[in-house]
Amino acid sequence: MKKIFNIIICFLPIAAFSQNIDRSKAPVPGKAPIIQVANPVKFTLANGLKVYVVKNTKLPRVIAQLSFDVDGFKEGDKAGLAEMAGQLAKRGTTTKSKEQLDEAVEYLGGSLSTSSTSAVAISLKSNFPTLFGLLSEVVLHPALNAEELEKVRKQTISGIESNKDDADAIANNVVKKLVYGANHPFGEIMTTKTVNAIKAEDVKSFIGDYWKPNIASLIFVGDIEPADAKKLAEKYFGAWQKGTVPVQQFEKSARPAKTYIAVVDRPSSVQSVVTIATPLQLVKGAPNDIPANVMNNILGGGFSGRLFANLREKHGFTYGAYSSLETNKYVGIFKAEASVRNEKTDSSIQETLAEINTIRSVKVDDGELSRMKNYLAGGFARSLENPTTIAGFALNIEKYNLPADYYQKYLTNLASVSALQVQEAATSLLQPSQMHIVVVGDAKQVAKGLEKYGEVKYFDIEGNEIAAPKEVKVDASLTLDVLINKTVEAMGGKASIEKIKDVQLNGKVGVMGQSIDVVQKIIQPGSAVMLMSMGGMVISKQAVVDGKYEVSQQGMQAPITDDLKEGLDESSYLVPELMYQQKGYKLAIVGMEQVEGKDAIDVEITAPSGKKSHRFYDKETYLLVKTTKVEKGPQGPVTQQQYYKNYQKVDGVAFAKEAVMDLGQFKMNLNFETIKVNQGLKLEDLK
Amino acid sequence: MKKQFFLSCLLLFIGATAFGQSIQFEKYVLPNGLKVILHEDHSAPVVAVTALYHVGSKNEDTARTGFAHFFEHLLFEGSENIKRGEFDKYVTNAGGALNANTSQDRTFYYELLPSNQVELGLWLESERMMHAKIEQVGVNTQREVVKEEKRQRMDNRPYGSFLNEMLKRAFKVHPYKWSPIGSMEHLNAAKLEEFIQFYKTYYVPNNCVLSIAGDFNKAELKEKIAAYFGSIPKGTIAINRPNIKEPALGGEVRDIIYDNIQLPGVFQAYRAPKQGGDEYYAFNVLSTILSGGESSRMNKSLVDKKQQAAAAQSVPFFNEDEGLLIALAIANVGVKIETLEQSMDSVTDQLKKELVSEREFQKVKNQITSELVSSKATMAGIAESLANNEVYFGDANLINTELEKYNKVTREDVLNVAKKYLNKDNRVVLYYLPKQKSASK
Repeated sequence: MKKIFNIIICFLPIAAFSQNIDRSKAPVPGKAPIIQVANPVKFTLANGLKVYVVKNTKLPRVIAQLSFDVDGFKEGDKAGLAEMAGQLAKRGTTTKSKEQLDEAVEYLGGSLSTSSTSAVAISLKSNFPTLFGLLSEVVLHPALNAEELEKVRKQTISGIESNKDDADAIANNVVKKLVYGANHPFGEIMTTKTVNAIKAEDVKSFIGDYWKPNIASLIFVGDIEPADAKKLAEKYFGAWQKGTVPVQQFEKSARPAKTYIAVVDRPSSVQSVVTIATPLQLVKGAPNDIPANVMNNILGGGFSGRLFANLREKHGFTYGAYSSLETNKYVGIFKAEASVRNEKTDSSIQETLAEINTIRSVKVDDGELSRMKNYLAGGFARSLENPTTIAGFALNIEKYNLPADYYQKYLTNLASVSALQVQEAATSLLQPSQMHIVVVGDAKQVAKGLEKYGEVKYFDIEGNEIAAPKEVKVDASLTLDVLINKTVEAMGGKASIEKIKDVQLNGKVGVMGQSIDVVQKIIQPGSAVMLMSMGGMVISKQAVVDGKYEVSQQGMQAPITDDLKEGLDESSYLVPELMYQQKGYKLAIVGMEQVEGKDAIDVEITAPSGKKSHRFYDKETYLLVKTTKVEKGPQGPVTQQQYYKNYQKVDGVAFAKEAVMDLGQFKMNLNFETIKVNQGLKLEDLK
Repeated sequence: MKKQFFLSCLLLFIGATAFGQSIQFEKYVLPNGLKVILHEDHSAPVVAVTALYHVGSKNEDTARTGFAHFFEHLLFEGSENIKRGEFDKYVTNAGGALNANTSQDRTFYYELLPSNQVELGLWLESERMMHAKIEQVGVNTQREVVKEEKRQRMDNRPYGSFLNEMLKRAFKVHPYKWSPIGSMEHLNAAKLEEFIQFYKTYYVPNNCVLSIAGDFNKAELKEKIAAYFGSIPKGTIAINRPNIKEPALGGEVRDIIYDNIQLPGVFQAYRAPKQGGDEYYAFNVLSTILSGGESSRMNKSLVDKKQQAAAAQSVPFFNEDEGLLIALAIANVGVKIETLEQSMDSVTDQLKKELVSEREFQKVKNQITSELVSSKATMAGIAESLANNEVYFGDANLINTELEKYNKVTREDVLNVAKKYLNKDNRVVLYYLPKQKSASK
């Protein structure tokens, strides 16, 4: 039998050559598939919990998803509360520790996750009833204990800290604050301060106030009979008490009166993150919802959008340029975004605005329109492979009060979108004269010339407006020699400095919530050691003692490069300004910059190896206030900055009692508690 | 205790029957040697068209590493009938998605399409196999793209070099000693004729499995497959299939890598058997014990209890020939790297000393059963799994029988592979340490 089968197979290809194919062009697609969007079975429990069941027996698996309709919870000075509550919910219940709960879930081969507005459980059909019981335990009786809260807090804060140097994360925060407004829940920004203000009681009251059956939807998707789902829902969630959920009032976000530029200065940027954004009154299911989606995709949807074609393929300003459009029942948002080379910041804004103007003023041609419809229809069809898509449809119908056949009719409605509707969506939603244009980048390089688009304002990384950096020129009479002399004077004068033979500084560094002891010893000239230790264990050592160099971390020796040697040598001088010229360093005054709100003179230092760094001297006091240098980092060059503050004199010489090392991805604050000079340190004390 | 064991057996039994839904497919071979596997499924209006070529970095010339992966890029450049830069546009304009990936053993291309566009997938894949454009301009363009990819994925990503660093120490003679990204110098030195030769050798129907899953009519599709692929000539150049036995490591290899990272990391790689044998299944069970989920041993001990690691994971790295079991952990701030390694070792030592408890063993098997079921959730997953099983084991039907192999694994098997392989003289250990950032004044 099998043999015959094979023979038949072998014949087939030959017969098939008679079928003509034309290789020279892409085949014509077949008839559009008839897409059936199943209607879920729906029922409501007595406590108001709405239940949907999407039966799909393709896999012997069931997914249960509980969602709370909490849109717009204002957190104020506790921003981050909802997010942390969501993370904490699955870290133990009143009867099971986190460890016991994790084990119980995974013993079932399942998974269970929570967020501020949802709880999801997935497992094979056979274990699902047991897992569903655990899901209800997590939702109804979460432990929310203080110890686990501290772990979540620690992780959240390290996330915030590492985002402080991430241009995309900064842009994201500032855009939402400006577009939605600081008083709108969508415009709130989580900071270390707000996260530290959150207490276990706050989390308990959030869960207690908002996790209520009357604002929840429970969806079952997978290999489960609606009758069985109903039994489970009633058994585990039937006794859940309904309650009044607080309703908050907040202002509607409005467009700005006039287009303006919001610059967030990030001096180390080599690219600007440019976002052009506006709030939208666009609700899913509104007549212009589908045309608006088509319009957005023509403008900036993926690789086939106009922004990509213009900014990347035609001009090469960027690796990618896209637009997005989010609908929401309170307020939606439109954004056009790109990360562009510094010098193309202005041109990118110009081209993006030009594309917005074009889609408003010129009707899209039929070819482009039908291509985009194919793209969206294909994506819609593919999304149905995942059965949770159907569940998502059911949720949207409920949340946005859509007609029950909204998704059944989606493709027909998409096909009927006209060029005129696309244009109308653009003219009604996108107003080029009322846009927020947010630029996160090196203001010194990119801000110039942007006034032509509107008033240029400056903001900090948390979206608070700040004064524009003043451009101050260096006084032409200030020569390098004068500056060096003044600095040396400010530090205590050459005589006093040279009287100091040795010095020992003891201090502490705070980094990511941990404390590290620092000891720095210097014997002038030429020998110095810096030790960092934690709980008595040395974790880092760098030393130059009598011409011998050593750098180690956690007991491991690092290779000694010329760069390192130079840096170590420099560290063995209290005031390296005294030695620069004789050691062959080249210095040049290159400009003026604001350092923490004060003018400082920027001096470029070129070491004999060619390595460049900058030192900034306060314009009034001539004390060193900042140093910078560029190091190779994981995402390209990173500018490392160190700030010096709180100078105090010891034996006539000024020492900075505080230093802040900004290493790009995180900051360390170093505070010196004691400074002892001329104790008679010997070289062996440095070993 | 006894009761619990009974319950475990019951669960296992239920698991097996619940899993019993098999994937129906048809497999046949065209006269030119192209293997075709078709799985018809009308549950959603989608189709996955995939082509797996049995060529990976292990087939490369030692002076031309990176070729296989380079082709994964080059073959999106176009063909006689597809203009440069248009290959992916056909797919995205149809609302589809496409991509490709290269391992040490094979190169895999796929298009995910709405089902009425299945023929588009056939056209694109047959054009790619029949007469792709191998031209200097495309070679030059893609060389730059691959360099960017290397920069982004390996050079600029923290710990991104670990696989390269690991492979070159774990393998001395086998071509697994280099990773698919290969050498940029080799790519720079290669002449256009060498690329053409590589294409003619490996991109032939008799080195490919065309695996298609989704919403189509099988009879019609077979005619179309014959029309698009039947006339592509069989390859005539001998294919290099290295048959090299890597000798035992012969002692622990240790090294330190300085990288642009903030937190130190420990990477341990134990030499492991090749995929498909009994030991392979026991090894996967072992790896799940180590790091499958929050309740796994590495997570519970290193991350949660001792809080020494910011992250900890084990990665089974199995191949057609010998593989590796990689265990890695990234230290929390202020934790000594030696301390972290000791804790990792105590986790592996325990696996060598004691049988896993019945409860934990059952947990891990339940996790694996779930994973196997979920891997069949998409047409793309099914098509790839069928093709992999056919190429590696000559048995596409393994997709339906794999669970039995896992069910045969006993607690003693896990203890035995742990004892046999998780030994110091069988491993490479790399310490990743931050490059010094001098914090001088």
